[in-house]
Amino acid sequence: MATSTERRVLRYLPEQRLVHWLGVASVLTLLVTGLALLWGPLSFLAWGGVSTLLHRGAALLFVALPVAYFVLNRTKGQELLKEIVTYNREDWEWLKGFPAYFLGRTTHLPKQGRLNAGQKLHHLGTFLAFIAVTVSGLLLWFAKGQLGGAGLAATAAVHDVAMLAVTILIIGHVYFTFVYGALPSMTTGYVSEEYARLEHARWLEEVGADSPASDAAGAPQSVTGD
Amino acid sequence: MAAHALLVDLGRCIGCQACVVACKAGNELQEGEANIRIREVVRGKFPNLSGSFVHHRCFHCADAGCVSVCPTGALSKLDGLTAVDAAKCSGCGYCVDACPYGVPKMVDGRVSKCTACLDVVATGGVPYCVQTCPSEAIKFGSREAMLGLAAQRVAEIRGQFPNAQIYGETQLGGLGTLMVLPDDPETLGLPAAPQVPALVNAWQKGIQPLTQGFTALGLITTGLAFLFARRNHRLETAARREAEAVAEKEARDGDVH
Repeated sequence: MATSTERRVLRYLPEQRLVHWLGVASVLTLLVTGLALLWGPLSFLAWGGVSTLLHRGAALLFVALPVAYFVLNRTKGQELLKEIVTYNREDWEWLKGFPAYFLGRTTHLPKQGRLNAGQKLHHLGTFLAFIAVTVSGLLLWFAKGQLGGAGLAATAAVHDVAMLAVTILIIGHVYFTFVYGALPSMTTGYVSEEYARLEHARWLEEVGADSPASDAAGAPQSVTGD
Repeated sequence: MAAHALLVDLGRCIGCQACVVACKAGNELQEGEANIRIREVVRGKFPNLSGSFVHHRCFHCADAGCVSVCPTGALSKLDGLTAVDAAKCSGCGYCVDACPYGVPKMVDGRVSKCTACLDVVATGGVPYCVQTCPSEAIKFGSREAMLGLAAQRVAEIRGQFPNAQIYGETQLGGLGTLMVLPDDPETLGLPAAPQVPALVNAWQKGIQPLTQGFTALGLITTGLAFLFARRNHRLETAARREAEAVAEKEARDGDVH
């Protein structure tokens, strides 16, 4: 591929990346230890109750992380919540063009802001699934033995379906990360200007490649992209 | 092997608790742990009273709710009985909620319930409770033989107890703990038609396979699509860079003129 000198744009602050990767650790732990109770071939992980302990430890992190983040960044949290329920005409256009975007094509899509319509829906789905999985999880943890057969089945079914939603969202998240080469935003915190123009042109216009945040971070403004 | 069954004859039980003690000692249960509990039920009005000692222990259901929800295989059906493999137990406690009789208990994070002493039975013996019962109220053998014996006993005590009946012949697919009751089950605090809630089956046989299926589908779809999407993205990027390079060159050439 051609080598071009590219400017970089700050996408995620260090604390955002930390929250993201701690979240990854907690969710993957929860997923594997949870699957131990749902998928026969993994059930050996649950023998003796080790996976239960891991599941609960990871669950504490899973719930504490976003709660702490929202408490410490109330403005950003509120902005995010508002952003993920607000859809304009470009968003609908983008969603109509989603099938081709899924297959790696972007030229037909309207300019997108900080989050594209798919990312907004992804965040909204994550938020709703988070609430469902947390409430049902707390019930399975603390009300066990008092739920009865039907209560247990209903609670566990909600827990399972919410985690199915989370799993599908994660699969999609990882998929698009690697299709469009978006990983650097969560490792270095920066994306190439080319990437920003392609995926979040309106956002790039707002922040500009020389955003004060990136100056403050003291990172080189000009690097060699792929 | 043919299905085994226990037969508890409430017409013979004298409530001595010897089975409870033998079970605890033989199975080396912890303090406070008990796989058999005996409840005294008194019926009628003074001076016409009659009493029964109703046993509460695992009923070894053929369609066992506990087995269907157990995610690790710690609970399983074996020769008509419900076996426990404590080493596999994760302590999730699903069985506690799923049992229509409220039998399984969690002790030290592991399931605890009557296993019909399957280890003793495997070596040709009979459960500790059967070995010790002084009034021969508890028997163990093939389910067929136990049902025959139960029918015989019901016929014997019908004169004294007109409502005498066998309990467990049909409940939950047929119980592995049969009982000779001197009265209606409800009168003795036993459910006449216990059921595993339909929701339990919907969860186990519907929701769980569905989540596995959709996860697999998601992985396969994105896995295949990735090959095409990555290629499309590469082609598009190359085309755009080329177009930009041309435009830049033209702009530069324009400056020169």
